Amino acid sequence: MIAAINTDALLQLVWAAPLAVLAVTVSWGLVVNGVTRAAEARRDGRAGVAGAYAALAVAGGALFTAAVVFGLLVMISKD
Amino acid sequence: MDSDIILVIVVAAALVFDFTNGFHDTANAVASSISTRALAPRTAVTLAAILNFVGAFISIQVAATVAGGIVDAHLINTTVVFAGLIGAISWNLATWYYGLPSSSSHALIGGVVGAAFAAGGADAVITDGLLAKVIVPAVVAPIVAFAAAGAAILITYRMVGRLRPGPVNRGYRLGQIASASLLSLSHGTNDAQKTMGIIALALIAHGNLAPGDPPPTWVIVSAATAIALGTYSGGWRIIRTMGSRIFKMDPAQGFTAQTGGAAVLLTAAHLGFPLSTTHSITGAVLGAGAAKRLSAVRWGLAGNIVAAWILTLPAAAAVGALTYGLSRLFGNGALGPLLIAISLLGLVAAIFGQRLRRGPALTTSPADT
Repeated sequence: MIAAINTDALLQLVWAAPLAVLAVTVSWGLVVNGVTRAAEARRDGRAGVAGAYAALAVAGGALFTAAVVFGLLVMISKD
Repeated sequence: MDSDIILVIVVAAALVFDFTNGFHDTANAVASSISTRALAPRTAVTLAAILNFVGAFISIQVAATVAGGIVDAHLINTTVVFAGLIGAISWNLATWYYGLPSSSSHALIGGVVGAAFAAGGADAVITDGLLAKVIVPAVVAPIVAFAAAGAAILITYRMVGRLRPGPVNRGYRLGQIASASLLSLSHGTNDAQKTMGIIALALIAHGNLAPGDPPPTWVIVSAATAIALGTYSGGWRIIRTMGSRIFKMDPAQGFTAQTGGAAVLLTAAHLGFPLSTTHSITGAVLGAGAAKRLSAVRWGLAGNIVAAWILTLPAAAAVGALTYGLSRLFGNGALGPLLIAISLLGLVAAIFGQRLRRGPALTTSPADT
Protein backbone atom coordinates (compact mmCIF):
# COMPACT_ATOMS: atom_id res chain seq x y z
CA MET A 1 0.00 0.00 0.00
CA ILE A 2 2.89 2.36 0.86
CA ALA A 3 4.32 1.77 -2.63
CA ALA A 4 1.37 3.68 -4.11
CA ILE A 5 2.53 6.88 -2.40
CA ASN A 6 4.99 9.00 -4.33
CA THR A 7 7.43 9.23 -1.41
CA ASP A 8 10.12 11.05 -3.42
CA ALA A 9 7.73 13.87 -4.27
CA LEU A 10 6.40 13.86 -0.71
CA LEU A 11 9.86 14.21 0.85
CA GLN A 12 10.81 16.89 -1.67
CA LEU A 13 7.62 18.74 -0.85
CA VAL A 14 8.41 18.75 2.87
CA TRP A 15 11.54 20.87 2.34
CA ALA A 16 10.78 22.62 -0.97
CA ALA A 17 7.35 24.04 -0.03
CA PRO A 18 8.50 25.81 3.17
CA LEU A 19 11.54 27.09 1.25
CA ALA A 20 9.26 28.52 -1.46
CA VAL A 21 7.03 30.13 1.19
CA LEU A 22 10.05 31.69 2.90
CA ALA A 23 11.49 32.92 -0.41
CA VAL A 24 8.24 34.63 -1.39
CA THR A 25 7.55 36.20 2.01
CA VAL A 26 11.17 37.34 2.46
CA SER A 27 11.19 38.91 -1.01
CA TRP A 28 8.00 40.88 -0.27
CA GLY A 29 9.41 41.72 3.19
CA LEU A 30 12.41 43.27 1.40
CA VAL A 31 10.04 45.38 -0.72
CA VAL A 32 8.07 46.63 2.30
CA ASN A 33 11.21 47.18 4.36
CA GLY A 34 13.07 48.89 1.51
CA VAL A 35 10.22 51.22 0.53
CA THR A 36 9.44 52.20 4.14
CA ARG A 37 13.06 52.86 5.11
CA ALA A 38 13.81 54.65 1.83
CA ALA A 39 10.91 57.03 2.50
CA GLU A 40 12.16 57.67 6.04
CA ALA A 41 15.73 58.27 4.85
CA ARG A 42 14.54 60.66 2.11
CA ARG A 43 12.57 62.63 4.69
CA ASP A 44 15.72 62.85 6.86
CA GLY A 45 17.75 64.09 3.86
CA ARG A 46 19.96 60.98 3.63
CA ALA A 47 19.89 60.53 -0.14
CA GLY A 48 22.55 57.77 -0.26
CA VAL A 49 20.81 55.60 2.34
CA ALA A 50 17.45 56.21 0.62
CA GLY A 51 18.96 55.02 -2.68
CA ALA A 52 20.35 51.87 -1.06
CA TYR A 53 16.98 50.99 0.49
CA ALA A 54 15.22 51.72 -2.81
CA ALA A 55 17.62 49.29 -4.51
CA LEU A 56 16.79 46.69 -1.84
CA ALA A 57 13.08 47.19 -2.55
CA VAL A 58 13.67 46.79 -6.31
CA ALA A 59 15.64 43.57 -5.72
CA GLY A 60 12.87 42.22 -3.48
CA GLY A 61 10.27 43.21 -6.08
CA ALA A 62 12.20 41.42 -8.82
CA LEU A 63 12.37 38.25 -6.69
CA PHE A 64 8.67 38.43 -5.86
CA THR A 65 7.76 38.98 -9.52
CA ALA A 66 9.93 36.00 -10.51
CA ALA A 67 8.09 33.84 -7.93
CA VAL A 68 4.68 34.94 -9.28
CA VAL A 69 5.77 34.27 -12.88
CA PHE A 70 7.05 30.84 -11.81
CA GLY A 71 3.67 30.15 -10.20
CA LEU A 72 1.90 31.13 -13.43
CA LEU A 73 4.19 28.86 -15.45
CA VAL A 74 3.43 25.94 -13.11
CA MET A 75 -0.30 26.57 -13.63
CA ILE A 76 0.02 26.70 -17.41
CA SER A 77 2.35 23.73 -17.81
CA LYS A 78 0.78 21.19 -15.44
CA ASP A 79 -0.91 18.11 -16.85
CA MET B 1 -34.44 9.00 -25.04
CA ASP B 2 -33.67 7.90 -21.46
CA SER B 3 -29.93 8.30 -22.00
CA ASP B 4 -30.51 11.82 -23.40
CA ILE B 5 -32.40 12.79 -20.25
CA ILE B 6 -29.69 11.30 -18.00
CA LEU B 7 -27.04 13.21 -19.97
CA VAL B 8 -28.91 16.49 -19.47
CA ILE B 9 -29.33 15.75 -15.72
CA VAL B 10 -25.62 14.89 -15.31
CA VAL B 11 -24.53 18.06 -17.15
CA ALA B 12 -26.91 20.17 -15.01
CA ALA B 13 -25.72 18.48 -11.79
CA ALA B 14 -22.08 19.01 -12.83
CA LEU B 15 -22.71 22.72 -13.36
CA VAL B 16 -24.54 22.98 -10.01
CA PHE B 17 -21.55 21.27 -8.35
CA ASP B 18 -19.24 23.73 -10.14
CA PHE B 19 -21.33 26.63 -8.81
CA THR B 20 -21.20 25.28 -5.22
CA ASN B 21 -17.47 24.68 -5.67
CA GLY B 22 -17.09 28.37 -6.59
CA PHE B 23 -18.96 29.85 -3.66
CA HIS B 24 -17.63 27.25 -1.22
CA ASP B 25 -14.00 27.94 -2.13
CA THR B 26 -14.19 31.73 -2.60
CA ALA B 27 -12.98 32.04 0.98
CA ASN B 28 -9.67 30.35 0.16
CA ALA B 29 -8.64 33.21 -2.09
CA VAL B 30 -10.30 36.27 -0.60
CA ALA B 31 -11.07 35.78 3.13
CA SER B 32 -7.71 37.11 4.32
CA SER B 33 -7.84 40.09 1.93
CA ILE B 34 -11.34 41.03 3.12
CA SER B 35 -10.45 40.55 6.78
CA THR B 36 -7.42 42.86 6.61
CA ARG B 37 -9.30 45.34 4.38
CA ALA B 38 -6.84 44.87 1.52
CA LEU B 39 -9.94 44.61 -0.69
CA ALA B 40 -13.58 45.55 -0.17
CA PRO B 41 -15.77 42.40 0.04
CA ARG B 42 -17.60 42.93 -3.26
CA THR B 43 -14.37 43.95 -5.05
CA ALA B 44 -12.63 40.84 -3.69
CA VAL B 45 -15.28 38.38 -4.91
CA THR B 46 -15.56 40.18 -8.27
CA LEU B 47 -11.78 39.92 -8.78
CA ALA B 48 -11.84 36.26 -7.70
CA ALA B 49 -14.78 35.50 -10.02
CA ILE B 50 -13.07 37.09 -13.04
CA LEU B 51 -9.80 35.24 -12.35
CA ASN B 52 -11.64 31.95 -11.76
CA PHE B 53 -13.28 32.44 -15.17
CA VAL B 54 -9.95 33.23 -16.85
CA GLY B 55 -8.24 30.34 -15.00
CA ALA B 56 -10.70 27.87 -16.46
CA PHE B 57 -9.32 28.62 -19.92
CA ILE B 58 -5.63 28.30 -18.97
CA SER B 59 -5.61 24.51 -18.86
CA ILE B 60 -8.15 22.13 -20.38
CA GLN B 61 -6.35 18.90 -19.62
CA VAL B 62 -9.34 16.77 -18.81
CA ALA B 63 -7.58 13.44 -19.26
CA ALA B 64 -7.51 12.91 -15.49
CA THR B 65 -11.14 11.97 -15.04
CA VAL B 66 -13.13 12.00 -11.82
CA ALA B 67 -11.65 9.74 -9.15
CA GLY B 68 -9.21 8.25 -11.70
CA GLY B 69 -7.07 5.57 -10.02
CA ILE B 70 -9.38 5.58 -6.99
CA VAL B 71 -12.34 3.60 -8.29
CA ASP B 72 -12.59 0.87 -10.93
CA ALA B 73 -12.89 2.82 -14.21
CA HIS B 74 -15.19 0.16 -15.73
CA LEU B 75 -17.88 0.98 -13.18
CA ILE B 76 -17.99 4.69 -13.96
CA ASN B 77 -21.18 5.42 -15.87
CA THR B 78 -23.53 8.41 -15.94
CA THR B 79 -25.61 7.16 -12.98
CA VAL B 80 -22.49 6.69 -10.81
CA VAL B 81 -21.26 10.17 -11.78
CA PHE B 82 -24.70 11.65 -11.07
CA ALA B 83 -24.83 9.98 -7.63
CA GLY B 84 -21.26 11.16 -6.90
CA LEU B 85 -22.18 14.72 -7.84
CA ILE B 86 -25.22 14.65 -5.53
CA GLY B 87 -22.96 13.42 -2.68
CA ALA B 88 -20.48 16.25 -3.33
CA ILE B 89 -23.15 18.97 -3.71
CA SER B 90 -24.86 17.84 -0.47
CA TRP B 91 -21.59 17.95 1.48
CA ASN B 92 -20.64 21.35 0.01
CA LEU B 93 -24.01 22.80 1.00
CA ALA B 94 -23.88 21.29 4.50
CA THR B 95 -20.36 22.56 5.28
CA TRP B 96 -21.17 25.97 3.76
CA TYR B 97 -24.29 26.20 5.96
CA TYR B 98 -22.11 25.67 9.06
CA GLY B 99 -19.37 27.97 7.69
CA LEU B 100 -16.75 25.23 7.58
CA PRO B 101 -14.07 25.21 4.85
CA SER B 102 -13.74 21.71 3.35
CA SER B 103 -12.36 20.29 0.13
CA SER B 104 -14.83 20.24 -2.79
CA SER B 105 -12.53 17.84 -4.67
CA HIS B 106 -12.51 15.37 -1.79
CA ALA B 107 -16.31 15.67 -1.58
CA LEU B 108 -16.56 14.81 -5.28
CA ILE B 109 -14.17 11.88 -4.93
CA GLY B 110 -16.08 10.71 -1.85
CA GLY B 111 -19.39 10.88 -3.71
CA VAL B 112 -18.06 8.88 -6.66
CA VAL B 113 -16.37 6.33 -4.35
CA GLY B 114 -19.66 5.80 -2.50
CA ALA B 115 -21.66 5.42 -5.71
CA ALA B 116 -19.06 3.04 -7.19
CA PHE B 117 -19.11 1.03 -3.93
CA ALA B 118 -22.89 0.74 -4.19
CA ALA B 119 -22.58 -0.28 -7.84
CA GLY B 120 -19.74 -2.79 -7.62
CA GLY B 121 -19.04 -3.61 -3.98
CA ALA B 122 -15.77 -3.20 -2.07
CA ASP B 123 -13.67 -4.30 -5.07
CA ALA B 124 -14.77 -1.15 -6.92
CA VAL B 125 -12.63 1.00 -4.63
CA ILE B 126 -8.85 1.05 -5.17
CA THR B 127 -7.58 1.55 -1.61
CA ASP B 128 -3.97 2.25 -2.69
CA GLY B 129 -5.22 5.09 -4.90
CA LEU B 130 -7.46 6.43 -2.14
CA LEU B 131 -4.53 6.45 0.29
CA ALA B 132 -2.05 8.01 -2.13
CA LYS B 133 -4.32 10.56 -3.80
CA VAL B 134 -6.66 11.58 -0.99
CA ILE B 135 -5.67 10.57 2.53
CA VAL B 136 -1.91 11.27 2.50
CA PRO B 137 -2.28 14.67 0.74
CA ALA B 138 -5.07 15.57 3.20
CA VAL B 139 -2.70 15.00 6.11
CA VAL B 140 0.39 16.54 4.49
CA ALA B 141 -1.14 19.76 3.11
CA PRO B 142 -2.25 21.44 6.35
CA ILE B 143 0.85 20.36 8.29
CA VAL B 144 3.33 21.67 5.68
CA ALA B 145 1.34 24.88 5.17
CA PHE B 146 0.99 25.39 8.94
CA ALA B 147 4.73 25.02 9.55
CA ALA B 148 5.75 27.09 6.52
CA ALA B 149 3.37 29.98 7.23
CA GLY B 150 4.32 29.91 10.92
CA ALA B 151 8.03 30.22 10.13
CA ALA B 152 7.33 32.85 7.46
CA ILE B 153 5.32 35.14 9.76
CA LEU B 154 8.07 35.01 12.43
CA ILE B 155 10.68 36.04 9.83
CA THR B 156 8.32 38.71 8.49
CA TYR B 157 7.92 40.24 11.96
CA ARG B 158 11.73 40.24 12.35
CA MET B 159 12.04 42.10 9.04
CA VAL B 160 9.35 44.74 9.48
CA GLY B 161 8.39 44.63 13.16
CA ARG B 162 10.23 47.82 14.11
CA LEU B 163 8.97 49.92 11.21
CA ARG B 164 6.03 52.32 11.33
CA PRO B 165 2.85 50.21 11.08
CA GLY B 166 1.06 52.48 8.57
CA PRO B 167 3.31 51.95 5.52
CA VAL B 168 3.97 48.32 6.50
CA ASN B 169 0.25 47.51 6.61
CA ARG B 170 -0.29 49.28 3.28
CA GLY B 171 2.56 47.27 1.75
CA TYR B 172 1.17 43.94 2.92
CA ARG B 173 -2.35 44.83 1.81
CA LEU B 174 -0.93 45.50 -1.67
CA GLY B 175 0.88 42.14 -1.60
CA GLN B 176 -2.37 40.42 -0.63
CA ILE B 177 -4.00 41.60 -3.86
CA ALA B 178 -1.27 39.78 -5.83
CA SER B 179 -1.52 36.60 -3.74
CA ALA B 180 -5.35 36.56 -3.84
CA SER B 181 -5.22 36.96 -7.63
CA LEU B 182 -2.76 34.08 -7.99
CA LEU B 183 -4.90 31.83 -5.79
CA SER B 184 -8.09 32.65 -7.69
CA LEU B 185 -6.42 31.94 -11.02
CA SER B 186 -5.05 28.66 -9.68
CA HIS B 187 -8.48 27.69 -8.33
CA GLY B 188 -10.16 28.36 -11.69
CA THR B 189 -7.52 26.26 -13.47
CA ASN B 190 -7.88 23.31 -11.09
CA ASP B 191 -11.53 23.15 -10.21
CA ALA B 192 -13.33 24.19 -13.41
CA GLN B 193 -11.24 21.49 -15.07
CA LYS B 194 -12.90 18.85 -12.87
CA THR B 195 -16.36 19.89 -14.06
CA MET B 196 -15.14 19.86 -17.66
CA GLY B 197 -13.86 16.32 -16.99
CA ILE B 198 -17.23 15.18 -15.61
CA ILE B 199 -19.19 16.61 -18.54
CA ALA B 200 -16.67 15.22 -21.04
CA LEU B 201 -17.01 11.81 -19.37
CA ALA B 202 -20.81 11.94 -19.69
CA LEU B 203 -20.51 12.99 -23.37
CA ILE B 204 -18.10 10.11 -24.06
CA ALA B 205 -20.42 7.62 -22.35
CA HIS B 206 -23.31 8.97 -24.43
CA GLY B 207 -21.31 8.80 -27.67
CA ASN B 208 -21.18 12.55 -28.32
CA LEU B 209 -17.42 12.79 -27.79
CA ALA B 210 -14.58 10.46 -28.74
CA PRO B 211 -12.25 9.42 -25.90
CA GLY B 212 -9.15 11.65 -25.91
CA ASP B 213 -10.83 14.50 -27.78
CA PRO B 214 -10.73 17.95 -26.18
CA PRO B 215 -14.01 19.10 -24.61
CA PRO B 216 -16.30 21.21 -26.82
CA THR B 217 -16.20 24.97 -26.38
CA TRP B 218 -19.66 25.07 -24.74
CA VAL B 219 -18.36 22.73 -22.01
CA ILE B 220 -15.37 24.99 -21.27
CA VAL B 221 -17.44 28.18 -21.32
CA SER B 222 -20.26 26.77 -19.18
CA ALA B 223 -17.84 25.31 -16.60
CA ALA B 224 -15.93 28.62 -16.43
CA THR B 225 -19.18 30.58 -16.12
CA ALA B 226 -20.62 28.33 -13.38
CA ILE B 227 -17.52 28.52 -11.18
CA ALA B 228 -17.23 32.28 -11.73
CA LEU B 229 -20.90 32.87 -10.85
CA GLY B 230 -20.52 30.70 -7.76
CA THR B 231 -17.42 32.62 -6.72
CA TYR B 232 -19.15 35.96 -7.33
CA SER B 233 -22.13 34.97 -5.19
CA GLY B 234 -19.62 34.63 -2.33
CA GLY B 235 -19.76 32.01 0.40
CA TRP B 236 -19.79 34.66 3.12
CA ARG B 237 -20.19 32.22 5.99
CA ILE B 238 -16.91 30.47 5.14
CA ILE B 239 -15.27 33.81 4.35
CA ARG B 240 -16.12 34.95 7.89
CA THR B 241 -14.72 31.74 9.38
CA MET B 242 -11.45 31.91 7.42
CA GLY B 243 -11.03 35.67 7.64
CA SER B 244 -11.93 36.55 11.19
CA ARG B 245 -13.41 33.71 13.25
CA ILE B 246 -10.25 31.56 13.42
CA PHE B 247 -8.31 34.61 14.63
CA LYS B 248 -8.23 38.35 13.92
CA MET B 249 -5.38 38.74 11.47
CA ASP B 250 -3.21 41.74 10.64
CA PRO B 251 -2.17 42.47 7.01
CA ALA B 252 1.25 40.76 7.42
CA GLN B 253 -0.45 37.60 8.70
CA GLY B 254 -3.04 37.78 5.92
CA PHE B 255 -0.31 38.10 3.31
CA THR B 256 1.74 35.27 4.84
CA ALA B 257 -1.29 32.96 5.08
CA GLN B 258 -2.37 33.59 1.48
CA THR B 259 1.10 33.55 -0.02
CA GLY B 260 2.12 30.59 2.12
CA GLY B 261 -0.90 28.59 0.99
CA ALA B 262 -0.34 29.52 -2.66
CA ALA B 263 3.39 28.71 -2.56
CA VAL B 264 2.75 25.30 -0.96
CA LEU B 265 0.04 24.51 -3.55
CA LEU B 266 2.11 25.53 -6.55
CA THR B 267 5.28 23.81 -5.28
CA ALA B 268 3.24 20.63 -4.77
CA ALA B 269 1.73 20.93 -8.27
CA HIS B 270 5.22 21.42 -9.70
CA LEU B 271 6.40 18.23 -7.93
CA GLY B 272 3.40 16.25 -9.21
CA PHE B 273 1.88 15.92 -5.73
CA PRO B 274 -1.38 17.86 -5.95
CA LEU B 275 -2.85 19.10 -2.67
CA SER B 276 -6.25 20.49 -1.67
CA THR B 277 -6.50 24.30 -1.88
CA THR B 278 -8.74 24.40 1.19
CA HIS B 279 -6.43 22.27 3.32
CA SER B 280 -3.34 24.27 2.32
CA ILE B 281 -4.87 27.71 2.88
CA THR B 282 -6.54 26.75 6.17
CA GLY B 283 -3.27 25.23 7.43
CA ALA B 284 -1.43 28.43 6.48
CA VAL B 285 -4.06 30.63 8.20
CA LEU B 286 -3.73 28.58 11.40
CA GLY B 287 0.09 28.67 11.18
CA ALA B 288 0.21 32.45 10.68
CA GLY B 289 -2.05 32.92 13.71
CA ALA B 290 -0.49 30.37 16.04
CA ALA B 291 3.11 31.52 15.42
CA LYS B 292 2.32 35.02 16.68
CA ARG B 293 0.37 33.89 19.73
CA LEU B 294 -0.89 30.36 20.29
CA SER B 295 -3.90 31.51 22.29
CA ALA B 296 -5.00 33.89 19.50
CA VAL B 297 -6.34 30.93 17.51
CA ARG B 298 -9.78 29.52 18.33
CA TRP B 299 -8.69 25.90 18.56
CA GLY B 300 -12.25 24.69 19.10
CA LEU B 301 -13.22 26.06 15.70
CA ALA B 302 -10.02 24.64 14.18
CA GLY B 303 -11.04 21.25 15.62
CA ASN B 304 -14.47 21.54 13.97
CA ILE B 305 -12.79 22.28 10.64
CA VAL B 306 -10.51 19.22 10.96
CA ALA B 307 -13.54 17.10 11.92
CA ALA B 308 -15.29 18.31 8.74
CA TRP B 309 -12.22 17.30 6.71
CA ILE B 310 -12.23 13.82 8.24
CA LEU B 311 -15.96 13.45 7.60
CA THR B 312 -15.84 14.76 4.00
CA LEU B 313 -15.02 11.46 2.31
CA PRO B 314 -17.34 9.13 4.29
CA ALA B 315 -20.25 11.60 4.38
CA ALA B 316 -20.14 12.37 0.65
CA ALA B 317 -19.65 8.64 -0.02
CA ALA B 318 -22.72 7.77 2.06
CA VAL B 319 -24.89 10.26 0.15
CA GLY B 320 -23.41 9.08 -3.17
CA ALA B 321 -24.16 5.42 -2.32
CA LEU B 322 -27.68 6.27 -1.14
CA THR B 323 -28.37 8.30 -4.29
CA TYR B 324 -27.13 5.46 -6.50
CA GLY B 325 -29.28 2.95 -4.60
CA LEU B 326 -32.38 5.15 -4.87
CA SER B 327 -31.78 5.73 -8.59
CA ARG B 328 -31.56 2.00 -9.23
CA LEU B 329 -34.86 1.40 -7.39
CA PHE B 330 -36.49 2.95 -10.45
CA GLY B 331 -34.53 0.79 -12.90
CA ASN B 332 -31.74 1.73 -15.30
CA GLY B 333 -33.62 4.57 -16.98
CA ALA B 334 -33.84 8.29 -16.37
CA LEU B 335 -36.75 8.16 -13.91
CA GLY B 336 -34.59 7.63 -10.79
CA PRO B 337 -32.07 10.44 -11.43
CA LEU B 338 -34.93 12.72 -12.58
CA LEU B 339 -36.99 12.17 -9.42
CA ILE B 340 -33.93 12.61 -7.18
CA ALA B 341 -32.87 15.80 -8.96
CA ILE B 342 -36.39 17.29 -8.69
CA SER B 343 -36.69 16.27 -5.01
CA LEU B 344 -33.32 17.79 -4.15
CA LEU B 345 -34.11 21.01 -6.00
CA GLY B 346 -37.36 21.27 -4.03
CA LEU B 347 -35.57 20.57 -0.74
CA VAL B 348 -32.83 23.15 -1.37
CA ALA B 349 -35.41 25.75 -2.47
CA ALA B 350 -37.45 25.11 0.69
CA ILE B 351 -34.39 25.44 2.97
CA PHE B 352 -33.25 28.63 1.23
CA GLY B 353 -36.74 30.10 1.26
CA GLN B 354 -37.18 29.38 4.97
CA ARG B 355 -33.73 30.77 5.83
CA LEU B 356 -34.10 33.89 3.68
CA ARG B 357 -37.40 34.71 5.41
CA ARG B 358 -35.48 34.71 8.72
CA GLY B 359 -32.80 37.17 7.63
CA PRO B 360 -29.97 37.93 5.23
CA ALA B 361 -27.21 36.00 7.06
CA LEU B 362 -26.71 33.37 4.37
CA THR B 363 -26.31 35.39 1.26
CA THR B 364 -25.07 38.88 2.04
CA SER B 365 -21.53 40.16 2.24
CA PRO B 366 -20.09 41.63 5.48
CA ALA B 367 -20.25 45.05 3.84
CA ASP B 368 -24.00 44.76 3.25
CA THR B 369 -24.91 43.73 6.79
